[in-house]
Parts: sequence; structure tokens; C-alpha cells
Amino acid sequence: MTLQTSSIGTPTLPRLLLGTVVDNALVLALVTVFAAFSIATPTFPTLANLQSILVNNFTLLAIVAIAMTFAVSVGGIDLSVGTAVDFASFAFVSLVLAGQPVAIAALAGLGAGAAVGAFNAVLISGIGISPFLATLGTLFIGRSIQQLLTNGGNPVYLPPSGAPEAFRFLGRGAIAGIPVPLVIAAVIVAGATLILTRARFGRVALAIGIQPSVARYSGITARAHVAVAFILVGLIAAVAGLILSATVTVYIPSSGNAFLLNAIGATFIGTTLSRLGRPNIPGTILGVLLLGIVANGLLLTGLNFYWQQVGTGLLIFAVLALSFINRRKATA
Amino acid sequence: MSVDIQLAPVIHFEPGQSGFSSARGVNLAAAALRAGSLIAFVAILVVFSVTAPYFLSVGNIGNVLGQSAISGVLAIGLTIVLIAGGSNVVTGGIDLSLAANMGLSAAVYATIAQLGYGDATAVAAALLTGGLIGVVNAIAVVGAGIVPLLATLAVMNIVAGLELVLTQNTVIPASTPLLTALSSSGLFGIPALAYVLLVFTLIAAAIVQYTPAGLRLYAVGEFPDAARAAGLPVRRLVAGAFIASGLCGGFAGILSVSNLSGSTTGSGEMLLPVVVTALLGSVFSRRLVPTVIGTLLSTLFVGFLVNGFQLLNISSVLVSGVQGLLILLVVSATTLLRRQEA
Repeated sequence: MTLQTSSIGTPTLPRLLLGTVVDNALVLALVTVFAAFSIATPTFPTLANLQSILVNNFTLLAIVAIAMTFAVSVGGIDLSVGTAVDFASFAFVSLVLAGQPVAIAALAGLGAGAAVGAFNAVLISGIGISPFLATLGTLFIGRSIQQLLTNGGNPVYLPPSGAPEAFRFLGRGAIAGIPVPLVIAAVIVAGATLILTRARFGRVALAIGIQPSVARYSGITARAHVAVAFILVGLIAAVAGLILSATVTVYIPSSGNAFLLNAIGATFIGTTLSRLGRPNIPGTILGVLLLGIVANGLLLTGLNFYWQQVGTGLLIFAVLALSFINRRKATA
Repeated sequence: MSVDIQLAPVIHFEPGQSGFSSARGVNLAAAALRAGSLIAFVAILVVFSVTAPYFLSVGNIGNVLGQSAISGVLAIGLTIVLIAGGSNVVTGGIDLSLAANMGLSAAVYATIAQLGYGDATAVAAALLTGGLIGVVNAIAVVGAGIVPLLATLAVMNIVAGLELVLTQNTVIPASTPLLTALSSSGLFGIPALAYVLLVFTLIAAAIVQYTPAGLRLYAVGEFPDAARAAGLPVRRLVAGAFIASGLCGGFAGILSVSNLSGSTTGSGEMLLPVVVTALLGSVFSRRLVPTVIGTLLSTLFVGFLVNGFQLLNISSVLVSGVQGLLILLVVSATTLLRRQEA
């Protein structure tokens, strides 16, 4: 950006302003939406409501979207994140129901999610199928497996009385007044940010995503990194599966797919509206917040439930359109 | 100036060293895959017809054709976008709004029919709805420069929401002369929808495969830079593909009203199966590219599979698993083959 403007000459004020707007498009969008809802509904900016946004509209989607960000960072996409969520949830609930200790069941759940990731890794890194198609196949196979495991799609309930203390703590407990799911999400956000920006793995992964050929010529073992990235996707999504089932104390087949399109939306909003146009955790988190705030704000406006979905779509569409058009103007 | 944001390029690995080494082996493998998909298709037909006697009867084949009509029309619409957008699904051509489009168009048709307007008005309204959705997609992708995956995702949400607003999440019954005709049986006792699918495919294939505009779509999708350099109206062609796909969504909406005697909710469920069908279609073509006829074959392939399972009383929960396995098998074979050719 700076190189371009200096070669043209002294940047004019409007151009400078436009550049700033484009560079911070996502933050500006978030602030605008936030301000608009604060004016429209007095209950929106209250502490209680903001907390409810974080707990109800943010936590699970944020974790799944971070998983998706790893897939996008190596230049891929993962349509089977929901499958990893479901498999983890199924293993967790079934084992707790069978009387296994919660820790063991949780580990099995994480393992189940990672197994979905490993299956994708074999297809993508081993055989070389494009991530979109490979994970689409996994999604379909996963759906059948879940129906076979549950006699055609029956939910697995955990009676509230039968749920161990640790199980309930994971879903509804609090540490120092902060809900446990939120704490876990914060840890994952921090960890994922460190991995993508500070660790060698993250930088290599991004390099593969941006310029696969250059990464290859620099002696990077792309296959191994892509494989690890997709296993990470399954593992992180599995955490969301554990929290989901601990919160609602039930496993419902193929319910994880509800996160898929929003996770893709949040990740790509964060990617395209960030300054460098690369997948990044803060961008993804802002994307999730934008979706969450819009959903919650529209709910508070008392708009008809069906109009809310239209409103969400329109707002996201407007944000995308404006930022893409501005970006085009700024680089023209 | 357009901005080429490389959101997610296809991951390229070193061309593989495994498998065939001679050019002859490559050709053999290519031929094997091309023939293989057709052989698999025929083999499945044979297996089913031996195990389920009713399977190969005219009535049953007609049924499968009729039941495949809606997904076939949608998949052909998606195929046009795939052709114009190129092979990379993430940055290239995809239309996620197609299934929601069908739902809204069906709701519009049923609502207008219920208000007492004639078939002509209802058909026009449904096609107009689908076409408008296509125009919005086209403006978003070509005008604003949003990546198709994101643009059509946002449009999908809006359209699905509008359908809910219009129907209040209920079934809108509809009964008109056209719907009665569409849901009746035609020549040889084969459902009218089967003929609709065949005629629609022929028209679409004629336009996409045998006109200059169709050829240009392929050029734009596969070599956008070369197409631009050659002076093709790249933006107009891509926009046209999205509008065509939108019209297909509207048309599928009309068919779905006739099939279900009204508009029903849950059209979004069709999205991923249609994506799979359209992507599978390219193995039924000689150069492994998306074609209209290839998509028809893959639609029928899936249709016969589901039908055979039903006749053999195999649990329907396996269907999506088999679809998933199929796409993985087909795509890994294609990938290995491409590696040989590279």
C-alpha cells in the first residue's frame, strides 16, 4: 500500500482516508453495527446482554471458525468441521452414558474429532484430492455413519440426573465468574493466534496457503504441514463438540453442520476484510462477533423471527459488498 | 482493475512419481477412468436388475427419471456456473444459493397460484424470482468483486429468509392445470417430469455445448487471462452464467411445486447433494470437465442408486455414505490421472 502511494506521489487526503477505511474495514463494520443497535434498542448495550452475546452467539461458533481458519490458512477449506463436532459429541456422550469417567470420555471425543481430521489429511495430503471435494466426501460419509450408529438418527440423551458433576461443569460451570465454555474459547483463541503468528508451523502453513509453489521450492514439506493442519481442524472442532454436548446434555446426529456455513462466513469475512487478505485469528474472531452481534441485535429489535434471517443476510451482504468495492477503489 | 485476492488456491503437490511411467500407461489409465465411470454405471444397473426384477422395467426407469428432475435441473444450473468459474470451487464458480432459490421460487409460484392468478402469471413470477436471484449473484460477483463462495452464501441466507417470511414456515398448497399436467403420467406411463428433464437437458446441452457462447464459457472458466486477452466479454459471460443458474433455480421451483402439490420448507437440504452431483458429473465427460450431459448422467446415477437401494430394502441411511464414497473414489481416480498427465 505505502509503496504504491509513494510511487504515485503525495497521496491525496481522500485517498489516504479511503486506505484507512479499507485497512480497518472489519473493525469499522463492527463499530457501525454495534452503534446502530445501541441506538435502536436500549437493551442492546447493557452488560447482561453483551455477556449473553458472548455465551450464546460467540463461544461455539468461534471455536469452529478457528478450526476452519487453519484449513483456510493452508489454502484449503473443511466442509466436514461439523462432522468432527458430531463425532466428538457422540463419543463423549456415549461413553459418559456408559459410566466411563468424564476425562476418559472427553479424551475419546477429542480423538474422534482428530480421527475425522486424519481421514481428511490422508485424502488431501496422501492422495492429493482438493480439500473442498475431500471434505465434502467426508461430510456425506460421516452423515451415514452417524445414522448407522444411532438406529437411523435417534438422539442420545443423557438424563440430567445421570450427568456427572465434571460433565455439567464443562457446559454450565464458571471459573471466577466467567463461564467455562468462554474460558476454553479464550484459551483456544490465544493458542491458535500463537501458532499462526509466532510458531514456525503457522508461518509455513500461511506460506503454503499463499504461494504453494514458492513454499515448495523453499524446501517446505507441504504435504506434512497440510496434513497436520487438517488434523488440527478436527481436534479443535472436537472441543466445540464436547462443549456443545455438555451444554445441552444430548447428542443429536448431524447437528454440528449448523456451524458450517457460519464458520465459513466468519473465516472468509476475517480473511478478506483484513489488511493483508490472509487468514488470521483476530479477523476470524471479529467475523464471529459481527455475526453474533447482528443475530443478537436483530433479535432485540423485536423483528419478526423470519425477517431476522433476511436482515442477517442483508447486513453481511452489505458489509462484504462495501468492503470489496472500497478495496477495488483503493487499489485502482 | 479487478483485485485478485488469492483466498484459497488449490493445493498443488509435486507431481507424483507413483503408478504408470510410460505414456502408454497414462493413456490406458485415462481411458480406463473415462470408461470406468460408465462401466460402473452399467454394472450397478445390471446388479440391481438381477437382484430386483422390477428395477429395469419401463415404469421404474421412468420413475427414477421423474424423481431426478428437480435435482437434475438444479445440478445443470450449477454446472453452468462451474464451467464459467473454473475448476477451483473456492475461488471459482459455485452457487450456494441454488437450493434456497428453488425454495423461494416454489413459494412464490404457490402463493401466486393460491391468490387465483393463472399459470402463466405464476410461472413468470417464479422464473422472475429465480432470475432476479441470479442477477443479484451476478452483481455481487462481477460488479462488487465478492468471491462467489461468499457472495452466494450471503444471498443464500437472504433468499432462505425471504422464503420463511413468505410462507411463515408452513406448506402452501397449490393446484393448477399446469401442476396437474406436470405431475401426471405421459407417454408410455412415464411421469411427465421425466420428459421435462430430458427436454430441459437437451436444450441446455445444445446451448452450452454447441453454441459459440457455450464455448466461450469454457474459455472464461479454464483460462480467464487468455479469454480476456482474446477480447471475450469475461464479466458479461460470468454474469450470464449466474443468471442462467438462477433461472434454473426458478424452473426447479416450479417442478418442485408440482411434485409436492405445494411449496414446502427445507429446500436447503438439497444444496450439498446437488453440489456433489454437479461435481461428479465431470467424470462422465471425455475430458473430465463439467458438461451438461455428464451432469445428467451423474444425476441419474445417484437416482438409480437410491432407487435400487429402496427396491432391495437396503437402509436409506447408507445412501449419503455411498454418495460420499463415490465422490472420493471418483475424485481420487481423477486426481491420480491428472498427476500422470502433468
